[in-house]
Amino acid sequence: MRLKLSALKPLATLPALLALAGCDTGNYRLFHPLTAVAKVQWWATLFEAGIMSLIIVPTAILIAWFIWRYRKSANAKYDPAWSHSLVLEVLVWGVPLVIVAICSLISIRTTLDVEPYAPAVLAKNPADTAPLDIDVIATDWQWLFIYPQQHVAAIDELVVPENSVVHLRLTSTAVVNDFFIPQIAPMIDVMPGMRTEDTFDTPDPGSYTGFSADFSGAGFSWMQFHTHIVTPAGFGAWVAQAAASPVQLSYQEFTKLAQPTVNEGNKPSYFSNAASNLFDNVVTAAQAGVVYPVPDNVTKQVASLEDGGTAATTK
Amino acid sequence: MQVAIQGPWSPLLGRLTLSAIPYTNPILVGTFAVAALIALVVAGAVLYYKKLGYLWREWLTTVDHKKIGVMYIIVGLVMFFRAFVDGLMMRTQQAMAIGPHSPGVLGAQHGYLPPFHFDQVYSAHGTIMILFAATPLLTGLTNVVVPLQIGARDMAFPYMNALSLWLTTAGAILVMLSLFVGDFSSAGWVGLIPLTELPYSPGVGVDYWMWAIQISSIGTTLNAINMIVTIIKMRAPGMGWFRVPVFTWTTLSTNIIGLTAFPILGVVLALLGADRYLGTHFFTAGNGGNLMLYTNMFWIWGHPEVYFLVLPAFGIFSEIIPTFSEKPLFGYTTMVAATFAIAGISWAVWLHHFFTMGAGADVNGFFSIATMLVGIPTGVKVFNWMFTLYRGRLTFTTPMLWALAGLFLLLVGGITGMMLAIPAINYTVHNSVFVIAHFHCMVLLVAAAIFAGVVYWFPKVFGFQLDEKNGLMFFWSFITATAIVFTAMFALGFQGETRRLDYIFNPAWRPMLWTEEAGMMLYLVSIFYFLRMLYVSLRDRVPVASDPWGTARTLEFLTHSPVPFYNFAVTPQVNARDELAWRREHGLDKAQPEAFEPIHMPSNTGVPIIIGMLSLTLGFGLIWRIWWMAGFSLLAIIIAVIIRSFDKNLGYELKPEEVAAMERNLATASIIAEQPARTPLTEAEAH
Ligand code: HEM
Ligand SMILES: [Cu+2]
Repeated sequence: MRLKLSALKPLATLPALLALAGCDTGNYRLFHPLTAVAKVQWWATLFEAGIMSLIIVPTAILIAWFIWRYRKSANAKYDPAWSHSLVLEVLVWGVPLVIVAICSLISIRTTLDVEPYAPAVLAKNPADTAPLDIDVIATDWQWLFIYPQQHVAAIDELVVPENSVVHLRLTSTAVVNDFFIPQIAPMIDVMPGMRTEDTFDTPDPGSYTGFSADFSGAGFSWMQFHTHIVTPAGFGAWVAQAAASPVQLSYQEFTKLAQPTVNEGNKPSYFSNAASNLFDNVVTAAQAGVVYPVPDNVTKQVASLEDGGTAATTK
Repeated sequence: MQVAIQGPWSPLLGRLTLSAIPYTNPILVGTFAVAALIALVVAGAVLYYKKLGYLWREWLTTVDHKKIGVMYIIVGLVMFFRAFVDGLMMRTQQAMAIGPHSPGVLGAQHGYLPPFHFDQVYSAHGTIMILFAATPLLTGLTNVVVPLQIGARDMAFPYMNALSLWLTTAGAILVMLSLFVGDFSSAGWVGLIPLTELPYSPGVGVDYWMWAIQISSIGTTLNAINMIVTIIKMRAPGMGWFRVPVFTWTTLSTNIIGLTAFPILGVVLALLGADRYLGTHFFTAGNGGNLMLYTNMFWIWGHPEVYFLVLPAFGIFSEIIPTFSEKPLFGYTTMVAATFAIAGISWAVWLHHFFTMGAGADVNGFFSIATMLVGIPTGVKVFNWMFTLYRGRLTFTTPMLWALAGLFLLLVGGITGMMLAIPAINYTVHNSVFVIAHFHCMVLLVAAAIFAGVVYWFPKVFGFQLDEKNGLMFFWSFITATAIVFTAMFALGFQGETRRLDYIFNPAWRPMLWTEEAGMMLYLVSIFYFLRMLYVSLRDRVPVASDPWGTARTLEFLTHSPVPFYNFAVTPQVNARDELAWRREHGLDKAQPEAFEPIHMPSNTGVPIIIGMLSLTLGFGLIWRIWWMAGFSLLAIIIAVIIRSFDKNLGYELKPEEVAAMERNLATASIIAEQPARTPLTEAEAH
């Protein structure tokens, strides 16, 4: 049986619309999904909130009403012996059971739809072009994006062409981070010595902020990256610009970049000639025990005006 | 096989050097001054009123479950306050450090706390609130109430009960000590891995976190054993399983969780300790370690732990709502079934804390549905409380108000929990402040239950009520503050604010952050009323009857207020589920026993507090790698245990005349009264 999500749409949107009537929701980024993947996520949020409201709201109202109705001073009907009713007890188990069953269906459907490795929602209308592969390496505390097909790389800047599908492979040099671009890409863990994947489609051109969502140490609060969705021509130009960078990204160069660094303002930098096996080398190195330690004095210096100021770790 | 550590080390002081004392940090120096002042005043008062002997004989060496419970609650309240201040500091930092141009003071580039301090503050907040505030507060309440509620003289193992208390206290002291000697962990209350490994946390912070939890969780495990045995073996005659009060049922289920879950935490921390002290690779990213193994094991404990907290809270609601509705609990049997259903399912849902691991749709789907199943018994409970109100006669005392507010918090926490349980939604709000708001609804429900329980049972223990007027002000300010702070936090979750930020990179979040800060100010007001409530009640001390509320239904309100140290002069015979209500109906609630029998009581002992303090020095030695101190403490603990096992003290006996005299002059039997020295029984007398 396939659950018709669309049939439930009007019902689910109602409470959200009521709640939002009249306010500017521009800041509520999750309310404005842009990609097919993010749209499923937001619809799931609305369905779930709507369906749960069907039971939560009446319950809250009933409780409030009973509190009012049966206050001692009201002298309402008092039944000191009533503490059991078979019908009601069947209902109190039955109704939540039905609700949870519906929620389970929604859960399974949408989980498959947005599965970060291979979202079913994107398989429905496949794009004409092959997905753009990008390797993502989280360091302490920057993001490195490697474009294996284009042989370029960038720090703290993710640029992708509009209306295409992007497929990421992610790993980390040091600790665990979460990769997340609200409105665009689902969150996924980024773990040292391991690979994860994330997939999303791109909307019309625009600029967004992505960030690490899992605490990774002192520089975590500054661990954002710019996400630019550009036209195909713009993408070509950007690749050409990066390819012109004098800095070539070898593994040696990478080990320097991967030292603990806070990049305030997330100033991007670009690399040409990115080594094609860099991502795999980083994963293998982490598995072999390579770490990029964060000594206590580095932790103490981050965003601190004492202990020698911020300069030591800031680019 | 000691691993290389950064910084100096000496055989005498381990890693401890003068630089570990933060005498240059004005916040910590101020805190130290205040703490020292309070300590001086308390110590001075004890000496001035010549109460040192009393304190030692009647409290520090006690094995009385009520006094142990009271001390648990005091520890919990102190830690609650400490962690509240942590929360206030975090909110204030986030309200100040917004955007690249926000100014900084006290050495911070933005706000007043650089990440090095902020990260310790948020880690301490969570660790303390869950393990050193909520847990001891609930353990304290169950300690006080459960033996009374089942008509027992004490816990099954009174000595072990005291030991549990002092182990928990030792852990709490270690956490507090980290303020003034060294640093605390900055890797979150969950111990984010591999951040807690040596390369990323080379200092003593993680060690403080790890050993404080390790020591106190041994106490919690022992307490769980004690509670389970007490409830199974020590119920008064006539109290079959279907007459057990719901609070006792929830305590039983919670401690079954405790007994099965806490050892996992012990193991996972021990393995982490092996990584940090011996250089093993259980949880490192490389060399064959598996960091997700830590995360799995932590949450296999961590999720049951949240139900460990919430089930007794549900139990408290189930006592208070019937009392102030003047009606039995609706659907007793389903309520008990729901309790155990929740406890059972709570073992099978842990992975919902890391849906974003990339495990695939099948794994996430399984844990999603398992998680949502918890919603069914939880819903049952809400409905049952609702129908308990139906056709009741409701009076709105402060315990009742706390309980009712708890129901609404449960509804909000429940709907958001169900949302988080859907992976597709979770991928957008995981690790955001939406999660923080969800679980604060839940843990504030636990806090509401604790306040409800403290007010409800306080007169039972001390013989006078807490002041209702200030109590009401405390309630309303606290609940309003909660509504303000967490509504704003849900909004921020949808705006995409991630958790644990020292610096706010998106200025659009400012209005809601400032709203939260305003709510925090209201919490400060609520603390004022809480303290005033304590002050006024202690000043006035209006004596109350054995059932101060007049409509209580369970056994603990049958005996006197304040409760005598022997609980019941004569062990009651139980006739009904709501025994006191049954006796009231049959005109038996005021009946006094005609004849007394000898009462066998356990003697006090100093061994538990000695072992507790030795675990403190053991922990301190391990944290600072002062091996002689750790070794000496461990040896001393073993010796203390051996000596204790040869102790032939068989307790003492209260003669019937003695009981009769105390029943006539109840003040002499109250737990505050100093008892005369009593000679232990000889072997011959005991048989
Ligand atoms: C209907 C019942 C509940 C459901 C469905 C539920 C669901 C969830 C889910 C899915 C998460 C993970 C969110 C994430 O990190 O992405 C979560 C987190 C959490 N929940 Fe609940 N929950 C429920 C009840 C409770 C209760 C009763 C408590 C505590 C008394 C609680 C305390 C917590 C805590 C402490 C966390 C977050 C821990 C952390 O990451 O620091 N929850 N809940
Ligand atoms: Cu959980």
